[in-house]
Amino acid sequence: MSELSTLVTDGFTCTPTLDAAELSIVFAGSGDMHAVAPVADYLKQVHELAVQCSLSRVSCDFRSLTFMNSSCFKAFVVWIDTVKNAPQPYAIRFLTDPNLHWQRRSLEALRRLAMQVVSIEN
Amino acid sequence: MTELGLGLRVSVTLCFEPRADQIGSLRNALSDLCTPHISDADELSRLLLTAHELLENIVKYSAGGDVEFECTIERVTGGLRARLRTRNRADPNRLDDVRARLAALGAANDAISHYDEMIRDSAGKREGSGLGLARIEAEGEMRLEYRIDGDELTITAEGAISDHGRP
Repeated sequence: MSELSTLVTDGFTCTPTLDAAELSIVFAGSGDMHAVAPVADYLKQVHELAVQCSLSRVSCDFRSLTFMNSSCFKAFVVWIDTVKNAPQPYAIRFLTDPNLHWQRRSLEALRRLAMQVVSIEN
Repeated sequence: MTELGLGLRVSVTLCFEPRADQIGSLRNALSDLCTPHISDADELSRLLLTAHELLENIVKYSAGGDVEFECTIERVTGGLRARLRTRNRADPNRLDDVRARLAALGAANDAISHYDEMIRDSAGKREGSGLGLARIEAEGEMRLEYRIDGDELTITAEGAISDHGRP
Protein backbone atom coordinates (compact mmCIF):
# COMPACT_ATOMS: atom_id res chain seq x y z
CA MET A 1 0.00 0.00 0.00
CA SER A 2 1.91 3.02 -1.24
CA GLU A 3 -0.41 5.68 0.15
CA LEU A 4 -0.39 4.56 3.74
CA SER A 5 2.49 2.72 5.29
CA THR A 6 3.00 1.22 8.73
CA LEU A 7 3.67 3.77 11.43
CA VAL A 8 6.27 2.87 14.03
CA THR A 9 7.12 5.17 16.92
CA ASP A 10 8.52 4.54 20.36
CA GLY A 11 6.22 1.85 21.81
CA PHE A 12 3.39 2.43 19.36
CA THR A 13 2.53 1.10 15.91
CA CYS A 14 -0.25 1.45 13.31
CA THR A 15 -0.45 -1.28 10.69
CA PRO A 16 -2.85 -0.74 7.78
CA THR A 17 -4.49 -3.23 5.44
CA LEU A 18 -6.60 -2.14 2.49
CA ASP A 19 -9.17 -4.64 1.33
CA ALA A 20 -11.82 -3.74 -1.25
CA ALA A 21 -13.86 -0.89 0.21
CA GLU A 22 -12.49 -1.13 3.74
CA LEU A 23 -9.29 0.04 5.36
CA SER A 24 -8.31 -1.79 8.55
CA ILE A 25 -5.67 -0.42 10.88
CA VAL A 26 -4.25 -2.30 13.83
CA PHE A 27 -3.11 0.00 16.63
CA ALA A 28 -0.68 -1.53 19.11
CA GLY A 29 1.30 -0.40 22.12
CA SER A 30 0.66 2.74 24.15
CA GLY A 31 -0.45 6.04 22.65
CA ASP A 32 1.43 8.41 24.89
CA MET A 33 3.21 11.75 24.42
CA HIS A 34 5.63 10.38 21.83
CA ALA A 35 2.79 9.21 19.62
CA VAL A 36 0.67 12.38 19.54
CA ALA A 37 2.08 14.14 16.46
CA PRO A 38 2.59 10.93 14.42
CA VAL A 39 -0.97 9.77 15.14
CA ALA A 40 -2.48 13.13 14.19
CA ASP A 41 -0.55 13.12 10.93
CA TYR A 42 -1.38 9.47 10.29
CA LEU A 43 -5.13 10.03 10.71
CA LYS A 44 -4.97 12.87 8.19
CA GLN A 45 -3.42 10.44 5.73
CA VAL A 46 -6.10 7.88 6.56
CA HIS A 47 -8.81 10.39 5.71
CA GLU A 48 -7.12 11.39 2.45
CA LEU A 49 -6.87 7.75 1.42
CA ALA A 50 -10.47 7.04 2.43
CA VAL A 51 -11.74 9.93 0.32
CA GLN A 52 -9.45 9.13 -2.59
CA CYS A 53 -10.55 5.48 -2.68
CA SER A 54 -14.21 6.19 -1.77
CA LEU A 55 -13.99 3.77 1.12
CA SER A 56 -17.18 2.80 2.90
CA ARG A 57 -15.51 2.00 6.21
CA VAL A 58 -12.31 2.35 8.19
CA SER A 59 -11.80 -0.15 11.02
CA CYS A 60 -9.54 0.71 13.92
CA ASP A 61 -8.46 -2.41 15.77
CA PHE A 62 -7.64 -1.33 19.34
CA ARG A 63 -7.35 -4.82 20.79
CA SER A 64 -3.60 -4.46 21.22
CA LEU A 65 -3.68 -0.81 22.25
CA THR A 66 -2.98 -0.76 25.98
CA PHE A 67 -3.58 2.95 26.56
CA MET A 68 -4.20 6.24 24.78
CA ASN A 69 -3.59 9.64 26.38
CA SER A 70 -5.90 12.62 25.98
CA SER A 71 -3.73 14.18 23.27
CA CYS A 72 -3.87 11.07 21.08
CA PHE A 73 -7.59 10.89 21.89
CA LYS A 74 -7.88 14.47 20.61
CA ALA A 75 -6.36 13.38 17.28
CA PHE A 76 -9.24 10.92 16.92
CA VAL A 77 -11.71 13.67 17.83
CA VAL A 78 -10.38 15.82 14.98
CA TRP A 79 -10.49 12.93 12.53
CA ILE A 80 -14.01 11.84 13.48
CA ASP A 81 -15.25 15.42 13.31
CA THR A 82 -13.70 15.75 9.85
CA VAL A 83 -15.44 12.58 8.68
CA LYS A 84 -18.75 13.59 10.24
CA ASN A 85 -18.70 16.86 8.30
CA ALA A 86 -17.40 15.39 5.04
CA PRO A 87 -19.69 15.45 1.96
CA GLN A 88 -19.70 11.66 1.92
CA PRO A 89 -18.94 10.40 5.40
CA TYR A 90 -17.62 6.87 5.74
CA ALA A 91 -18.14 4.62 8.72
CA ILE A 92 -15.53 4.28 11.46
CA ARG A 93 -15.56 1.05 13.46
CA PHE A 94 -13.53 0.46 16.60
CA LEU A 95 -12.69 -3.11 17.56
CA THR A 96 -12.03 -3.30 21.29
CA ASP A 97 -10.85 -5.62 24.04
CA PRO A 98 -13.35 -5.61 26.93
CA ASN A 99 -10.48 -6.36 29.32
CA LEU A 100 -8.87 -3.03 28.46
CA HIS A 101 -11.42 -1.06 30.42
CA TRP A 102 -10.27 2.45 29.42
CA GLN A 103 -11.39 1.65 25.86
CA ARG A 104 -15.08 1.45 26.74
CA ARG A 105 -15.04 4.83 28.50
CA SER A 106 -12.94 6.64 25.89
CA LEU A 107 -14.59 5.18 22.82
CA GLU A 108 -18.10 5.81 24.11
CA ALA A 109 -17.12 9.48 24.27
CA LEU A 110 -15.98 9.32 20.64
CA ARG A 111 -19.19 7.58 19.65
CA ARG A 112 -21.26 10.31 21.29
CA LEU A 113 -19.39 12.82 19.12
CA ALA A 114 -20.65 11.19 15.92
CA MET A 115 -23.20 8.46 16.50
CA GLN A 116 -24.00 8.13 12.79
CA VAL A 117 -20.35 7.52 11.96
CA VAL A 118 -18.76 5.65 14.87
CA SER A 119 -19.52 2.10 15.97
CA ILE A 120 -17.85 0.00 18.65
CA GLU A 121 -17.49 -3.76 18.62
CA ASN A 122 -15.93 -6.20 21.07
CA MET B 1 10.47 2.74 57.47
CA THR B 2 7.17 4.48 58.26
CA GLU B 3 4.28 2.10 58.78
CA LEU B 4 1.06 2.67 56.93
CA GLY B 5 -1.87 3.88 59.00
CA LEU B 6 -4.73 1.59 59.89
CA GLY B 7 -6.82 2.31 56.80
CA LEU B 8 -4.05 2.98 54.28
CA ARG B 9 -3.36 0.35 51.65
CA VAL B 10 -0.99 2.34 49.45
CA SER B 11 0.84 5.57 50.15
CA VAL B 12 3.57 6.66 47.77
CA THR B 13 5.14 10.06 47.24
CA LEU B 14 7.64 10.70 44.47
CA CYS B 15 9.79 13.79 44.01
CA PHE B 16 11.50 13.84 40.65
CA GLU B 17 12.53 15.80 37.59
CA PRO B 18 9.67 15.12 35.15
CA ARG B 19 10.46 13.21 31.96
CA ALA B 20 8.00 12.06 29.31
CA ASP B 21 9.71 8.70 28.87
CA GLN B 22 9.12 7.79 32.51
CA ILE B 23 5.34 8.13 32.57
CA GLY B 24 4.61 4.62 31.32
CA SER B 25 7.01 3.11 33.84
CA LEU B 26 5.48 5.13 36.68
CA ARG B 27 1.99 4.07 35.65
CA ASN B 28 3.07 0.42 35.55
CA ALA B 29 4.70 0.70 38.98
CA LEU B 30 1.52 2.24 40.37
CA SER B 31 -0.47 -0.58 38.81
CA ASP B 32 1.76 -3.16 40.53
CA LEU B 33 1.35 -1.39 43.87
CA CYS B 34 -2.41 -1.03 43.68
CA THR B 35 -3.45 -4.28 41.99
CA PRO B 36 -3.40 -6.34 45.23
CA HIS B 37 -5.84 -3.89 46.83
CA ILE B 38 -8.19 -3.14 43.91
CA SER B 39 -9.84 -6.32 42.72
CA ASP B 40 -11.99 -4.71 40.03
CA ALA B 41 -9.94 -4.13 36.86
CA ASP B 42 -12.27 -1.35 35.70
CA GLU B 43 -11.75 0.52 38.95
CA LEU B 44 -7.98 0.11 38.66
CA SER B 45 -8.21 1.36 35.08
CA ARG B 46 -9.87 4.60 36.27
CA LEU B 47 -7.12 5.16 38.79
CA LEU B 48 -4.34 4.56 36.26
CA LEU B 49 -5.97 6.83 33.66
CA THR B 50 -6.10 9.58 36.27
CA ALA B 51 -2.48 9.02 37.25
CA HIS B 52 -1.35 9.06 33.62
CA GLU B 53 -3.11 12.32 32.79
CA LEU B 54 -1.83 14.03 35.95
CA LEU B 55 1.73 12.84 35.29
CA GLU B 56 1.59 14.07 31.70
CA ASN B 57 0.33 17.42 32.91
CA ILE B 58 3.37 17.97 35.09
CA VAL B 59 5.70 16.86 32.30
CA LYS B 60 4.06 19.23 29.81
CA TYR B 61 3.46 22.22 32.03
CA SER B 62 6.03 22.23 34.80
CA ALA B 63 8.10 25.42 34.77
CA GLY B 64 11.20 23.64 35.98
CA GLY B 65 12.57 22.16 39.14
CA ASP B 66 11.43 19.04 40.88
CA VAL B 67 7.80 18.01 40.95
CA GLU B 68 5.86 15.90 43.40
CA PHE B 69 3.39 13.09 42.77
CA GLU B 70 1.50 11.40 45.56
CA CYS B 71 -0.96 8.52 45.51
CA THR B 72 -2.83 7.12 48.47
CA ILE B 73 -5.38 4.34 48.61
CA GLU B 74 -7.27 4.18 51.86
CA ARG B 75 -9.87 1.77 53.13
CA VAL B 76 -13.05 3.55 54.14
CA THR B 77 -16.54 2.38 54.99
CA GLY B 78 -17.98 0.68 51.95
CA GLY B 79 -14.80 0.43 49.91
CA LEU B 80 -11.66 2.36 49.10
CA ARG B 81 -10.81 5.99 48.55
CA ALA B 82 -8.11 7.08 46.10
CA ARG B 83 -6.32 10.39 46.25
CA LEU B 84 -3.76 11.49 43.68
CA ARG B 85 -1.94 14.78 43.98
CA THR B 86 0.62 16.59 41.84
CA ARG B 87 2.60 19.65 42.78
CA ASN B 88 4.76 21.65 40.39
CA ARG B 89 5.82 25.15 39.49
CA ALA B 90 3.97 26.62 36.51
CA ASP B 91 4.12 29.82 34.52
CA PRO B 92 1.35 32.44 34.93
CA ASN B 93 -0.38 31.56 31.65
CA ARG B 94 -0.65 27.94 32.68
CA LEU B 95 -1.98 28.89 36.10
CA ASP B 96 -4.67 31.06 34.50
CA ASP B 97 -5.57 28.25 32.11
CA VAL B 98 -5.86 25.66 34.87
CA ARG B 99 -7.87 28.02 37.03
CA ALA B 100 -10.35 28.57 34.17
CA ARG B 101 -10.60 24.89 33.27
CA LEU B 102 -11.13 23.72 36.82
CA ALA B 103 -13.62 26.48 37.53
CA ALA B 104 -15.61 25.33 34.48
CA LEU B 105 -15.41 21.74 35.66
CA GLY B 106 -16.53 22.72 39.14
CA ALA B 107 -19.46 24.69 37.75
CA ALA B 108 -20.61 21.87 35.47
CA ASN B 109 -23.65 19.96 36.66
CA ASP B 110 -22.63 16.79 34.90
CA ALA B 111 -19.05 15.71 34.20
CA ILE B 112 -19.98 13.65 31.13
CA SER B 113 -22.00 16.42 29.48
CA HIS B 114 -19.22 18.90 30.15
CA TYR B 115 -16.66 16.47 28.71
CA ASP B 116 -18.78 15.93 25.59
CA GLU B 117 -19.04 19.69 25.13
CA MET B 118 -15.28 20.09 25.52
CA ILE B 119 -14.71 17.32 22.99
CA ARG B 120 -16.97 19.04 20.47
CA ASP B 121 -15.19 22.37 21.07
CA SER B 122 -11.74 20.79 20.79
CA ALA B 123 -12.53 19.30 17.38
CA GLY B 124 -12.04 22.67 15.73
CA LYS B 125 -8.79 23.41 17.52
CA ARG B 126 -5.83 21.93 15.76
CA GLU B 127 -3.33 22.59 18.55
CA GLY B 128 -3.37 21.27 22.08
CA SER B 129 -5.83 18.93 23.71
CA GLY B 130 -7.17 20.64 26.80
CA LEU B 131 -9.12 17.47 27.50
CA GLY B 132 -6.93 15.84 30.14
CA LEU B 133 -8.50 17.31 33.26
CA ALA B 134 -12.05 16.88 31.95
CA ARG B 135 -11.17 13.30 31.07
CA ILE B 136 -10.13 12.66 34.68
CA GLU B 137 -13.54 13.75 35.92
CA ALA B 138 -15.59 12.07 33.18
CA GLU B 139 -13.72 8.85 32.48
CA GLY B 140 -11.72 8.60 35.70
CA GLU B 141 -14.76 9.56 37.79
CA MET B 142 -12.51 11.54 40.13
CA ARG B 143 -13.24 14.93 41.60
CA LEU B 144 -10.56 17.55 40.97
CA GLU B 145 -9.46 20.37 43.23
CA TYR B 146 -6.55 22.74 42.92
CA ARG B 147 -4.54 25.21 44.92
CA ILE B 148 -2.25 27.94 43.65
CA ASP B 149 0.40 29.29 45.97
CA GLY B 150 2.65 31.79 44.20
CA ASP B 151 3.86 29.93 41.11
CA GLU B 152 3.20 26.56 42.67
CA LEU B 153 0.24 24.54 41.41
CA THR B 154 -1.25 21.62 43.32
CA ILE B 155 -3.92 19.49 41.67
CA THR B 156 -5.74 16.80 43.63
CA ALA B 157 -7.95 14.08 42.18
CA GLU B 158 -10.04 12.14 44.63
CA GLY B 159 -12.70 9.50 44.30
CA ALA B 160 -14.27 6.33 45.59
CA ILE B 161 -12.95 2.99 44.40
CA SER B 162 -15.26 0.03 44.59
CA ASP B 163 -13.79 -3.21 45.82
CA HIS B 164 -16.76 -5.42 45.15
CA GLY B 165 -15.71 -8.96 44.60
CA ARG B 166 -13.07 -8.81 47.32
CA PRO B 167 -13.77 -11.25 50.15
